[in-house]
Amino acid sequence: MPVLAFLGRRLAIFAISLVGASMLIFAVCSALPGEVAEIILGEGASQAQIEALTAELGLDRPPVVRYLEWVGGMLHGDFGVSYFTGQSVSGLMAPRIAVTLWLVLFALLLSVAVALPVGMLAAMKRRSWQGFAATAVAQLGMAVPAFWAAIVLVLVFAVGLRWLPANGYIPLTTDPVSWAAHLVLPVTSLAIVQSAVLVRYVRSAFIEVLSEDYYRTARAVGWRPFPALLRHGLRNAALSLVTVVGLQLASVLVGAIVIEQVFALPGLGSQLLSAVSQRDLMIVQGVVMFLAASVLLINFLVDLSYAWIDPRLRTEAER
Amino acid sequence: MVSSPTAAVAPRRRLRWAALVAATMAVLTACVGQSPTAPTQEARTLVVGASLEPPTLDPSASPAASIPQLLLYNVYQTLVRMNEQGELEPLLAQTWNVSSDRTVYTFKLNPAARFASGTPVTAEAVVTSFDRIKTENISAPLVEQMTVVKSTEAVDEHTVKVTLSHPSNLWLYDISSTAGIVYDPAGLANLGTAPAGSGPFVLQRWNKGQSVVLAANPDYWGTPSRLDLVTFRYFADPNAMNTAMLAGDLDVISNLQAPDALDQFGDTSRFTVMDGTTTGEVVLALNNARSAFKDVRVRRAISMAIDKKALLDTVWNGQGSLIGSMAVPTDPWYEDLTAINGYDRAEAKKLLAAAKATDLSLKLRVPTTAYATKSAQFVESALREVGVKVTVEELDFATWLNDVHNGGNYDMSIVAHVEARDIRRFTDPDYYFHFDNADFDKEFEAADEAPVDDFVPLMKKATRTLATDAAAVWLFALPNLVITKNTITGVPQNAATLSFDLSAIAKR
Amino acid sequence: MRRLGLYVGAALVTLVVAMALVSLFWTPYDPTLVVAGQRLQGPSAAHWLGTDAMGIDNFSRILVGAQTTIVVGVVSVGIAAVIGVPLGMLAGQARGWVDEVVMRITDIAYAFPALLLAILLAARFGASPVTAMTAIGLATIPSFARITRAGTLQVMRTDFVLAARASGIRWPGISLRHVLPNIAPLIGVQASVTFALAILAEAALSFLGLSTAAIVPTWGKMLRDAQTVMFNAPLQAVWPGLAIAAAVLGFNLLGDGLRDLLDPRLREVS
Repeated sequence: MPVLAFLGRRLAIFAISLVGASMLIFAVCSALPGEVAEIILGEGASQAQIEALTAELGLDRPPVVRYLEWVGGMLHGDFGVSYFTGQSVSGLMAPRIAVTLWLVLFALLLSVAVALPVGMLAAMKRRSWQGFAATAVAQLGMAVPAFWAAIVLVLVFAVGLRWLPANGYIPLTTDPVSWAAHLVLPVTSLAIVQSAVLVRYVRSAFIEVLSEDYYRTARAVGWRPFPALLRHGLRNAALSLVTVVGLQLASVLVGAIVIEQVFALPGLGSQLLSAVSQRDLMIVQGVVMFLAASVLLINFLVDLSYAWIDPRLRTEAER
Repeated sequence: MVSSPTAAVAPRRRLRWAALVAATMAVLTACVGQSPTAPTQEARTLVVGASLEPPTLDPSASPAASIPQLLLYNVYQTLVRMNEQGELEPLLAQTWNVSSDRTVYTFKLNPAARFASGTPVTAEAVVTSFDRIKTENISAPLVEQMTVVKSTEAVDEHTVKVTLSHPSNLWLYDISSTAGIVYDPAGLANLGTAPAGSGPFVLQRWNKGQSVVLAANPDYWGTPSRLDLVTFRYFADPNAMNTAMLAGDLDVISNLQAPDALDQFGDTSRFTVMDGTTTGEVVLALNNARSAFKDVRVRRAISMAIDKKALLDTVWNGQGSLIGSMAVPTDPWYEDLTAINGYDRAEAKKLLAAAKATDLSLKLRVPTTAYATKSAQFVESALREVGVKVTVEELDFATWLNDVHNGGNYDMSIVAHVEARDIRRFTDPDYYFHFDNADFDKEFEAADEAPVDDFVPLMKKATRTLATDAAAVWLFALPNLVITKNTITGVPQNAATLSFDLSAIAKR
Repeated sequence: MRRLGLYVGAALVTLVVAMALVSLFWTPYDPTLVVAGQRLQGPSAAHWLGTDAMGIDNFSRILVGAQTTIVVGVVSVGIAAVIGVPLGMLAGQARGWVDEVVMRITDIAYAFPALLLAILLAARFGASPVTAMTAIGLATIPSFARITRAGTLQVMRTDFVLAARASGIRWPGISLRHVLPNIAPLIGVQASVTFALAILAEAALSFLGLSTAAIVPTWGKMLRDAQTVMFNAPLQAVWPGLAIAAAVLGFNLLGDGLRDLLDPRLREVS
């Protein structure tokens, strides 16, 4: 039962956070200067024309009404329609979510896959040249702007060697091989920086473990360093690592927006940038709400995993 | 740059990592090798790189230049068309004549003309399309261009009579572009996503955020295109477009947005570079409502302080044309007016001193586009040299449109006026230039209403008046820098309209 | 070798700060005055690092760029730490509904992508380093709050805090005497990471055209400009790229080095 109560409470908090985020997003978008009617009508539109179109789009109604309508629609999966084309926002977002999702997912997986072994190596061998080299590489990786790495990768592999396409996107269902080929460079560019950042946290977390009594005890009773670290350290280091990966998610999403730009990927980031520039605020709100909800969902899951990883916190949370 | 995969597989065991990496690479390369990046009928497909995606596919719903770039003459057609020299030619109308008082135009439609839906292009369709601009919520420049039309009538199935409220030479030019598009009346409801035109191409697919694919219209009434599929790929980042071209993913760059990158395409065995003209005048707008700019000496001084040739060389790699007034080389009335209020720093200082404007401090508010921000940097330095303090502010385009263009909240601004024949904007004292010169207004009106033979000389006079009175500072006209693979022919050199005209393009 | 990182980091940071200080008083040429007819020159005796596409001396712009970099970093970290650390300590110690409210608010703020903040600020107030650093600062508050809270939770579980609480010391005292000193290394690392992050974020925002007005030289803006001339003048990209990498590396190494130095448990292990 306590587990259910805990879950219920977390869910309630998650829901309240969603409502808060939606208000914040709506408020910030409404504060933007520039009107969509002006942009649609273009230079030289008369004030009367602008007002007529604003009324036609329903933008002359009070903000509270528009907010409630927007939120009400979202509860039914309706994110509203684009001011420019009248297409449904959820329909416009769907193919773009796929692009960003693949990019972020693979980048996170790749960076964890790289960072975990390298970070553990850096922690265990931190006084030998291997550890030093691992740390140095990570430090250098972190010091490079992601878009810069992306551009260099494009120059080498697309323009120079012509092994991979320079940019663009092919949906998985159209052609899986081409889909993969188009994702290799963006995912790699995004993962370079992320894995470098992760290495540093993995290293810190495991250095911490190395000083803990249970690790020393394990070593004293004859465990070899690496198995000891895996057996006893991983679970303990996981707490801070889960936090970090959770924290990283937002920066991976931001990184994805930049990378989408370099590789001309039709993801949520490029949709956001172009919608903001056109003041198609229904799309802006939809995309940001989706991104915010995703991050909140991950936070929710991270919270749950805390409780799972650290029994002490679970009992406290249940109290 | 990177050693070949086989070379990396060295005989020593230490290099296991290198071998692994090399193997991965080899697999990747193999995958790419199999990928059908080269379609079977490659010779009849074309991939065009363009910079801005259309916000909608309805040319009457938004003034975005990306819409006519994609659709005008390709999917949609007009009664008359403008060729790349800026001359009018028949298109949907085979012939036309003008009444002696020059207010009634009679167009004879080509009886063969058909919409892509199969229905014939009739006089009724023209009437519906023209009347629509008066009744619906239509993009403002179109409304403005069509206000002169009093009535449009269908005389018979293939004859249209358009009555103007006063003679206008410009009107015929205007209807060669977006304002004159003849829509299929059956398709008016969904123009935003489903174009309904009579051109050689139809919309096949719009991959939002990425590309628009046009397919040859199988039942096209005129000379069919030599292409089956044309993809317009959109790149928010100009450098991404350049690298795609260098990597061989594009056949054409419709207009290079970063002229400094021109050298990248210097390999003449792969690329052809075409340097033509556009209708985009990059204007340093002076807010004539500000007291400082009411004095013509100050306006002239600002113009004289700026070395436009040096600006063009610095900002746009010397590509583009120096114009000196609100006309571009494809306008029939264009002449080189760069000498009027041309660069003379000493004279500029004198004029400022004479106007007692020696401690001017001005806000230069520009949209965040490359030509504007770079020009702003040059202008700031140039004016600093004559003692005018300039503060540069960059605004995103929507804010700029709202605050500067519509709100008039600025001292100076820089923007490219890409519409053709937008010299008329200077007749409107409410337009953001707030320029008001009765002589110019009269000259412009006289030119527009004059008999055809007097039109061009009178326009020259009006254009010259504008330059002499320093209504603004004309920095340069944007170039039409088209990069094509060597296998592509028939790309128009000049963009006399906003269309990227596909009709003559072929691939070897 | 253990302190090599610290020394290298300190040296790089000192270099950046020195460049910023020098540029306040002196640069070889005017860093904003466009000079026609000397675009994209290579390094020479007159222009050590050559000139950029507007004919401006690159070395002067790199020097002045250090100023912007320092300011962007300090302001961003300042905003984030001043708001984030107290929030995190409050949440970690008070627990219960206070914790819940504070953390949910930071969660919501955190779920709001930093870049969107920058886009909106740039749309509202124009693109400038000020909007960039405000956005970066605000967006990193939640990370500070979370890291601080996590650290506080750990400290609060330690025997000496339990003893202190048992002996009747109230939470402000515990905060200052026990929590803050113990989580200081954590915050130090976070601050150094954020400083480095701010430099990178500014570069990313510049790349998207959201950070700088053309006149103000920043390294991110220089890097963006260099991109279009990558083939004909690759050196243009090298200078700001090196500057950014050096500064980021410096702050990261400094943070790590300080952490190792300050953390007593680590000293014990070594």
